[in-house]
Amino acid sequence: MFSEKAKKNADACRFCWMCRHLCPVQLVTGKETNTPRAKGLQVSMLERGMTMDAECARTMYECLLCGACTNDCATGFDPLVFIREARTQANVLDLVPAEVRKVIDRVLETGNIYGAKEPRVDLSGVPETGDTLVWLGECARHSVPETAEALFAVLRKAGVPFAVLKNEPGSGSSLGDLLGFVEDVRAQAQRAGEAIRRSGAKRVIVLDSYDAALMRHEYKDWGVELPEIVTATACVDQLIREGRLSLKQTHEVITYHDGSRLARDLDEHEPARAILKAMGYEIHEMWQNRRLAKCCGSAVAGQYMPDIRLRVAENRWNDVKRTDAKHLTAACPQSTEALAATAPEEYRYTDLFVLVKEHL
Amino acid sequence: MERRAFMNDMVRTELEDVVGVENVSVAVSDRMTYGVDYFWIGRMWADRGQVPPMPDWIVRPGSAEEVSKILKIANYYKIPVHIWGGGSGSQGGALPMAGGIMMDMKRMSRLIEIDEVSRTITAEAGMIFQQLEWYANERGYSCQHIPSCLTCGTIGGALGHRGIGIMSTKYGKIDDMCVSMEVVLPNGDIINTLPVPKHAAGPDLNQIFIGSEGTLGVITKATFKLFEQPENRQFRAFLFPDMHSGYMAGRDLMQKVKPSILRFYDEAESGSIIKKILGFEKPGCFMNLAVEGIRRVVDIEMEIILEIARKWGGQDLGSEYGEKWYENRITFFYPGHIMDIPQMFGTMDTVATYANIEKIYWAMKKAVNENFPFVRYISHSSHWYEWGCMNYTRFIVDPKDVPQDPEEAIRLHNQIWNCGVRAAMENGGVINDHHGIGLKLSRLMKEQYGPAMQVMEGLKKSLDPNGILNPYKLGL
Repeated sequence: MFSEKAKKNADACRFCWMCRHLCPVQLVTGKETNTPRAKGLQVSMLERGMTMDAECARTMYECLLCGACTNDCATGFDPLVFIREARTQANVLDLVPAEVRKVIDRVLETGNIYGAKEPRVDLSGVPETGDTLVWLGECARHSVPETAEALFAVLRKAGVPFAVLKNEPGSGSSLGDLLGFVEDVRAQAQRAGEAIRRSGAKRVIVLDSYDAALMRHEYKDWGVELPEIVTATACVDQLIREGRLSLKQTHEVITYHDGSRLARDLDEHEPARAILKAMGYEIHEMWQNRRLAKCCGSAVAGQYMPDIRLRVAENRWNDVKRTDAKHLTAACPQSTEALAATAPEEYRYTDLFVLVKEHL
Repeated sequence: MERRAFMNDMVRTELEDVVGVENVSVAVSDRMTYGVDYFWIGRMWADRGQVPPMPDWIVRPGSAEEVSKILKIANYYKIPVHIWGGGSGSQGGALPMAGGIMMDMKRMSRLIEIDEVSRTITAEAGMIFQQLEWYANERGYSCQHIPSCLTCGTIGGALGHRGIGIMSTKYGKIDDMCVSMEVVLPNGDIINTLPVPKHAAGPDLNQIFIGSEGTLGVITKATFKLFEQPENRQFRAFLFPDMHSGYMAGRDLMQKVKPSILRFYDEAESGSIIKKILGFEKPGCFMNLAVEGIRRVVDIEMEIILEIARKWGGQDLGSEYGEKWYENRITFFYPGHIMDIPQMFGTMDTVATYANIEKIYWAMKKAVNENFPFVRYISHSSHWYEWGCMNYTRFIVDPKDVPQDPEEAIRLHNQIWNCGVRAAMENGGVINDHHGIGLKLSRLMKEQYGPAMQVMEGLKKSLDPNGILNPYKLGL
């Protein structure tokens, strides 16, 4: 039922309690089942004769796949491996919770979790082919278009010609989180890879770190060859260091939220901070920062468990409140979607690229 | 009393009315996860595909008032109530052996107050201790309760089993660190211990509930001391020629200085774990310690330590070993680094005076080795006092010697425990130092206490006349 890799990871995690303090979902629900240990135990028991029930399936979806547990493991075990496979099993057994099923159906039909047909981003005048392709991702295209438009403004100011796909397909990132890395996900990746190839790009600037992580870590294993992949933060940082952007200065105190996939899957922490410093911001860090950052909730989770995603985002704001910063920024559209909507009174959230645009 | 037909559904409705529908679960997969804690038997039982002990209802209260209402319901129906924090206890203390209600406390994880004037921190008992420590760290303080289960256990769990951390020799056990508590009694009354723990107003109520393992009440809130982070921490390692010289050096140290860390390993453990982690191969008994605080004081303390170590033949191995150990102190507890199924293992920690502790070490070793020659036996002493110290004694049975039949495996496990712990108690040792009693050692409590057990039995009978709280644990 489960792969040997998943079984090995589940059997290791089932009797290990070490990383539970980091699970952002457990921290807001208080549920024992929202710990990697409990999920590992359930998977191990499924391999020992227990039957998956609807609650077990739901438990496997009550996870943001943020990787805080994986990052913590001193041995290198990875709960995400068996959680993804458990989602695959739930789908096979027709136990996927109804609210999750709806999101899966939307992705399969439209390529995005929102079920949107047209992007909200203003793409007028933007070519679809060129040396540099900006890959937006579904969240920027359909939910927080201001992040994409800000990035466009920054690139234009720096004199970087770029292309964007008007019908950018799904990368497979959301579907991979919803179903595990099944054939449908690999097929999406193939289509994305083909679309990138047709654009003629030699370099892809990826705005959404969920897409960047999947492209960098999985695509090659799935036989999808890509040109150079650069995160949008690394790209803008490079432009600043090359002196191609002149930024207005401030002395404001700010705090920076490390998006989970950017910080952990892509191990990228400093470019965003360098960008903030280049604008004169004084960064006051939250206690859990960089690889230890607490997830604020993914866009996928926001679609099928909005209440938990809301509480997870609010909990991240609680971390902000214990700094003396009143202003928060992050560099991933999915973080922006979660955090902008939950900013407490007297606090302000600005997406990092919007912030840079304001300082041009 | 048996509950028939739809009685469980009637109870469920009442519980949902208290905490909300979303905070009650009766799903098999949910209930099963509460049937395995760190206790070897529970783990082995699950590993062999046996059905774990399961509660009938999982209930997640969000306040002391909700805990109170749940206990009133349980008392009315005479339903057992088990309390679950992190579930990382090694003694089976949280396992729902009698079914009934499993009260998972982790929703109650709010920080209440950091009082910088009094240097205290207050939080709800369902908070994972690492979170509390991080809240303290953000302000430049530490609770200095740093156990290996720091990231796993809750505040209530640490208090419930009378836990200890690696810094205990300087900063104390959890019972030294706790200033005051809020407790919900089995009848639902919410009480507070006195605002400070030192007074002449009768016995300290804190110490009645600390270590009571959920048998006398439900701890819902606690206040702890805060310590300023030390300006300086210095490590030193020594190699002593034998157990005696190490114990005596430790005793002399405790008369003159207060190390935060003092760990002394028998030759078997020096030769295995320490060699594996540190790459250290010399024979003898390894000691690793740290002193910390104001730099000027620490320098002087280290001078005194060096003098005492020399007196007892300790070879100075410098600071590098201790620093490496400190860096790796948590790595020991991740899968692949620590004992695990299919091995059989256990930690028979005991505590005694200096007059008895070495005798206990040899008596336990002899008893276990003679009765179970296939058992490996290692020990170290990691918590020290002015009057004595503890032995953290572990036994390990390789998989080939572990019976395949799970019930036979339980019998062997319990026989080894009976043998080792009785050897400790017969020589002046205490049944347990810091892991608690739980289900694992419950049967031996009367042997430990003798007629003194009636004090605890009296408390239990008075506070919990229906015996609903955590049945079969702590010998109560």
